[in-house]
Amino acid sequence: MKKAIIIFIVGSMFLLSLLIWALNTRFTGNMGEILMVATLLIVGSYGIYVAFGRVKSSIRKEPFEDELSKRIMVKASSLTFYLSFYLWLFIMYISDKTKLETHTLIGAGILGMAIVFLLTWLGVRIYGLKNE
Amino acid sequence: MNNRIKELRARHNLSQLELAQRVGVRRETIVFLEKSKYNPSLKLAYDISKVFALPIEEVFSFGDED
Repeated sequence: MKKAIIIFIVGSMFLLSLLIWALNTRFTGNMGEILMVATLLIVGSYGIYVAFGRVKSSIRKEPFEDELSKRIMVKASSLTFYLSFYLWLFIMYISDKTKLETHTLIGAGILGMAIVFLLTWLGVRIYGLKNE
Repeated sequence: MNNRIKELRARHNLSQLELAQRVGVRRETIVFLEKSKYNPSLKLAYDISKVFALPIEEVFSFGDED
């Protein structure tokens, strides 16, 4: 229950931030904006998928988390941490070569980390955790 | 690690969800176990064996590749 409340609060804060950002942004339709919106939509969809899974578990009277789901999260998080070093290294490399502002690059890095997490999470689920 | 969960579950006429509920995990975990995509903890292996009333070594076994 405590965890469900935390997820609800975090989800609401995410949606609220998205709404404030959308209301205060003038969309010009350039590639960067489209990429940012697509990334946010992907991250939002993942959140909805996880929330839907939790509701389904609750209906089936299953635990929200068990040893497998915890291990998947730990594995995906550790891989994301490791891969994010390369992502930030790449961002540092391109920062000198583009005219993008620092806050845009930081935003891209954070969204990139979210995407890396989604991909590693998906990869771990597909390949499994054999001999871990 | 190989296991006979699918075979034993069929023999005991248990669904994946029923087995999951009996050992206190999500159905997805049973799916992963049956596909040999996950090696369970000793506790989970013990709980599953207990449901089938068999010793652990008759439900789980190590193959040559392990």
